[in-house]
Amino acid sequence: MATEYVKLVDVTKCDGCRACMVACKNWNDLPAEPEEFSGTVQSHKKTTADTWNVLQYIEHENGKGDLEYLFRHSSCFHCTDAACEKVCPENAISYSKFGTVVIDHDKCVGCGYCVQNCPFEVISLKEYKDKNGKEYKLSQKCTMCTDRLEEGLQPACVTTCHTNALEFGNKDEMLAKAEKRLSEIKGKFPNANIYNPKGVGGTHTIYVLTEKPSVYGLPENPKVPTSAVVWKDYAQPIGKMMIGATTMAVVGAFITNNIISKRIKGKEDGGEGHE
Amino acid sequence: MTNHWNDLQYTDCALIIGGNPAENHPISFRWLTKAKEKGGKIVSVDPRFTRTSAMADHYAPLRSGTDIPFIGGMIKYAIENNLIHKEYVAKYTNASFIVKESYKFEDGLFTGYDEAKRAYDKTQWAWETTEDGKPVKDETLEHPRSVFQLMKKHYSRYDVDTVTSVTGTPKEDYLKVCEMFCSTGKVGKSGTIMYAMGATQHTVGTQNVRSYAMLQLLLGNIGLPGGGINAMRGESNVQGSTDFALLFDNLPGYLGMTKAIPEHATLKAHLEKETPKSGYWSNKPKFIVSLLKAWYGPNATADNEFGYQFLPKGNKNYSHINLFNAMYKGELEGAFLFGTNPVVGGPNAGKEKEALGNLKWMVAVDLWETESSAFWQKEAGSDPAKINTEVFLLPACSSYEKEGSVSNSSRWMQYRWQAIKPVGESKADLEIMHELMTKIKALYKNESTPAAKQVNAVHWNYGEGKEIDIDLVCKEINGYDVNTGKQINGFGNLKDDGSTCSGNWIYCGFYPEEGKNLAQRRDSKDTGMSMYLNWSFAWPMNRRIIYNRAAADPSGKPWSKEKAVIWWDAAQNKWAGYDVPDFVATKKPTDPGFTDPFIMIADGVAGLYAPTLNDGPFPEHYEPYESPIPNAFSSQEINPAITLFDGDFNKRGFKVDYPIVATTYRVSEHWQSGTMTRNQEWLSELVPYMYVEMSEELAKEKGINNKDEIIVSSARGEVKAYAMVTKRFKPHTVKGKKIHQIGMPWHFGYKGIATGDTANRLTPHIGDANTMIPEYKAFLCDVRRAD
Amino acid sequence: MSNHQQHPKANEKIRRFPKAFVWAHAINGIAFFALYITALPMYTEFFDWLYPVLGGPAGARLLHRIFAVIFITPTFILLIFSPKFFFKWMKELITWKKRDLEFFSEFVKELFGFNFKHVKQTFFNAGEKINSVIQILCAILVIVSGFTMWFPGFFPRAIVQWGYVLHNVGFGLGIAVIVGHVYLSVVHKHSRPGYSGVVTGKVPAWWAKGHYTEWYDEEVKKGNFPDLDDPKHKKGA
Repeated sequence: MATEYVKLVDVTKCDGCRACMVACKNWNDLPAEPEEFSGTVQSHKKTTADTWNVLQYIEHENGKGDLEYLFRHSSCFHCTDAACEKVCPENAISYSKFGTVVIDHDKCVGCGYCVQNCPFEVISLKEYKDKNGKEYKLSQKCTMCTDRLEEGLQPACVTTCHTNALEFGNKDEMLAKAEKRLSEIKGKFPNANIYNPKGVGGTHTIYVLTEKPSVYGLPENPKVPTSAVVWKDYAQPIGKMMIGATTMAVVGAFITNNIISKRIKGKEDGGEGHE
Repeated sequence: MTNHWNDLQYTDCALIIGGNPAENHPISFRWLTKAKEKGGKIVSVDPRFTRTSAMADHYAPLRSGTDIPFIGGMIKYAIENNLIHKEYVAKYTNASFIVKESYKFEDGLFTGYDEAKRAYDKTQWAWETTEDGKPVKDETLEHPRSVFQLMKKHYSRYDVDTVTSVTGTPKEDYLKVCEMFCSTGKVGKSGTIMYAMGATQHTVGTQNVRSYAMLQLLLGNIGLPGGGINAMRGESNVQGSTDFALLFDNLPGYLGMTKAIPEHATLKAHLEKETPKSGYWSNKPKFIVSLLKAWYGPNATADNEFGYQFLPKGNKNYSHINLFNAMYKGELEGAFLFGTNPVVGGPNAGKEKEALGNLKWMVAVDLWETESSAFWQKEAGSDPAKINTEVFLLPACSSYEKEGSVSNSSRWMQYRWQAIKPVGESKADLEIMHELMTKIKALYKNESTPAAKQVNAVHWNYGEGKEIDIDLVCKEINGYDVNTGKQINGFGNLKDDGSTCSGNWIYCGFYPEEGKNLAQRRDSKDTGMSMYLNWSFAWPMNRRIIYNRAAADPSGKPWSKEKAVIWWDAAQNKWAGYDVPDFVATKKPTDPGFTDPFIMIADGVAGLYAPTLNDGPFPEHYEPYESPIPNAFSSQEINPAITLFDGDFNKRGFKVDYPIVATTYRVSEHWQSGTMTRNQEWLSELVPYMYVEMSEELAKEKGINNKDEIIVSSARGEVKAYAMVTKRFKPHTVKGKKIHQIGMPWHFGYKGIATGDTANRLTPHIGDANTMIPEYKAFLCDVRRAD
Repeated sequence: MSNHQQHPKANEKIRRFPKAFVWAHAINGIAFFALYITALPMYTEFFDWLYPVLGGPAGARLLHRIFAVIFITPTFILLIFSPKFFFKWMKELITWKKRDLEFFSEFVKELFGFNFKHVKQTFFNAGEKINSVIQILCAILVIVSGFTMWFPGFFPRAIVQWGYVLHNVGFGLGIAVIVGHVYLSVVHKHSRPGYSGVVTGKVPAWWAKGHYTEWYDEEVKKGNFPDLDDPKHKKGA
């Protein structure tokens, strides 16, 4: 496998300028979608089909009663074990050679299974119209600018980040950096942690958080939904087997019926048959 | 900025007061983040817990308009706890100077106050001088009339309890700020003060900044890497525009404007009056004559005082508020609005809109139709039938569509090239000016009125026909020998005999020879201590840290190895180091003035005491024009030296009707009056609505829920906005009482994609005693639910 | 295998199902297969070629939802037009006796064409009851989970996520049983005569008596059906 890459988000360095949001829209040519006034500085409740990363602003009173104003660049985690990839009925979602999780829009049918199964709720459906005015849906999320990666560039959000709160690089290097940063900030933020959840096999967007994941609205122990595992690894194969089995039984019945009734016919001279 | 953006990484402590750089100057945090990684601390002082506060190691709230008590108390703390850099203070500041006996300070007033004129007789604050006119000094700093002792006495009144009862800062938070920042007084440490409009936009704005400078001088932080007082400019080229005399009382390069006074009647008299005997300004005649040569060319000769008489002379204060006051009274005929939007950005904006209707004509030059160029429309709440102003809108092109330079806060003149062709018929400002001037000159060609004389004398030699050659403008700004046409390589070579020209002496040296425009340099190699000397050009003479001589001790050795910038190199017999010396590089230890680092000041040392300002030699606290409490320090409620405007033009509110303190600010996503950003979808979606931030406590008192629509009212008007109820605003405890404060962005107007009510409909028409900058940052208001 | 004398009225058609049931069953069956086909390309990529036929994913989705609504209607048709039958059916489904178990061993023999004896059954035989029960359960599963999938915004995510599984299970089980059900009714020679029952509502009397003896006899007592056991008829045969 080629080198895996990781986007490291160090929230302690983020000053909430939102350049990442604008750079993302710019590179990916996404339209604006103003939402209703939210009562906070945050512009969008969460990522949407046209807003692939959202800067979260969280007012948090910590254990000591001090006010913390937390910023988090939130976007797709690019899980190693991606639920979206698992549940996609069309195999439209796949892992790229960089470790990013990408959607092939030629295959996507807009069923939304990925939307419902993403443990981080970062995928959304959007309705489009083709040139004949026919509606169709596609599922959308951050691509980690895989198109830029292919050209040897970094993701647009990373390139624009002026405080290096976002960094992109070799997975091992980024993980080492995260560990180092964690040790530096532990004194000031006792709850600090590295968010690289094992339940999804680790992610390719990794965070250094100052507070527990739940403070940032993140699941503490995200995993590929059990339902998705049951569904894709058991129910569907078994279902297919069952159709196969009953079909076989029916076919078998048909054949044996014919053989036996011929034999009986031979013996009893057609005494059988109600019709 | 005395220092520059990249230099912030060397700071041991950044005191950010009157600014919210994480939001409004985000690039600063690229460098502050590096400083933090090296163990540097950040202290944020602001009425509201901002994004900057979020990034800081310590946050202390203060009520808007109380910077002087806050810093005054720190000055007292530093002196009393012996945290000041003694040698620096004694040698590099005027702390040792003896002030005349006539200087007195009593109940908020300095001597020489004339109540009728609301002005001081500053001669009463002068130095005691020796026979040859030099100030008398006492380097032991013990003399009771030494600046040091006077200052100590002045700030002895600013004890922690009084200070915190006025600022509303919790005492322990305040003391922690003192402790953290004053620790930079140690040799080997440096601290920076970063400020923006939160400091300047007050009736005591100049003195606010002065107080920062004083504290920095006491701690020995000026001239050092990671030190300085750093004004974060509000837009990409505001540094450039002030350098080029966008201020009404300046000629380019901070040369004073000519006035209609006998001392300015002739060039000779002017130079005599305005040229100090010592310090670098003693070269002023060279700069003025070279400027006149740049403007009037062959029409400026020794015989006609180099065209000095063509310069307009007036005695009025032509600042923004006064101009609009004149306009309001119908005294102005016409106006050009180049990329300015006073109907959103001006103080008491409702009145500014009315004032525009008194013009006969108005020319707006902008990228979009703004609230100001459309002030006469129904949308603006106007009755077009009743407005007789003829309005022209000239489409301007954006920075990407033209070539030229911007000067950032670091004083870097950075050249930029055209990326795309202008859209439609839009033109660069320079082209518009060129066409205008060409046509005006043609119109006046055969006239001989005084105005025609002035116009005809202008030497407009920047290209033929409609095309203007920006390179010719650049060359003239730098200056050249008018006889040979050879570029001048630095302002040291400018002459006062008419043989050189220079459009702006402080920029002289950026274009030292043909084909070598240094502002175009893009060498990103660090030349040491992150000076990047081959990246663009920093005025003056590519110096990145001004007053950098002060980073070395009197003998010329760096105060410490960690904070070295330049030093006396005996082997080379000149000053050497990472930066271009802001000093005469060949000045030897034996030369006079070797220990005087502040070359732009006549005395060669920095001014803890400034007898030149309109409102006193020491910063003293006065309450804002509209304040919720009486002044705790004296019976002078407001700055005694500010100009008051009566009547309808500026209604004043009082706490009985308007008990809540209000302030205005900006957000990352919008810029100034929002013209550029509210017409941009991706930025508009980030901050789409006008909102008002308030504490949970105030919201509860007023029965306001988060997201409710509310009305904010002041004596001057009302605005409707969404309530943003937040923990980031807390009521101040002032004199034991709860004082509420709210804040709101001032970017909104009715044009563009993101629209909303204009906050400046609430702000007062009152300005600083020295600069007339409006007091946008502290006024009184009330809030209520909209329904 | 019974080998009785042919009764003259043995081939007479007697009414087994009310018209409402015939309609309900037909609608249900058609909707089921329509749902099956419109979802097939989603179920496995092997059938992606169906998308163009169905008008693309959006078309398939729309059709699936239209048929989903149709799929629900039979219950109401029955309830409105023939509640009596509906409740009888329900009652049958919850009534289980020893003979129902015996039925299964004989059924397997019958299915594969071996000799078997008729275990006396009421209106529905145990096989049909099992079919009904499974189909009803599957239908509930599929309908309920289908709702969560159609309107994910109204349900907690976990419910929607499990909805996918249950839809899958319900459908998988349903289709498996349906294959058998269809085979028996359309192809299998012993049960084939019953096929007319779901088309016209009527079946041959002899077949009904053979397959649902208890029910048939009861109806005879009520005077609804000809008594095929009437000795005088036997004689005359």
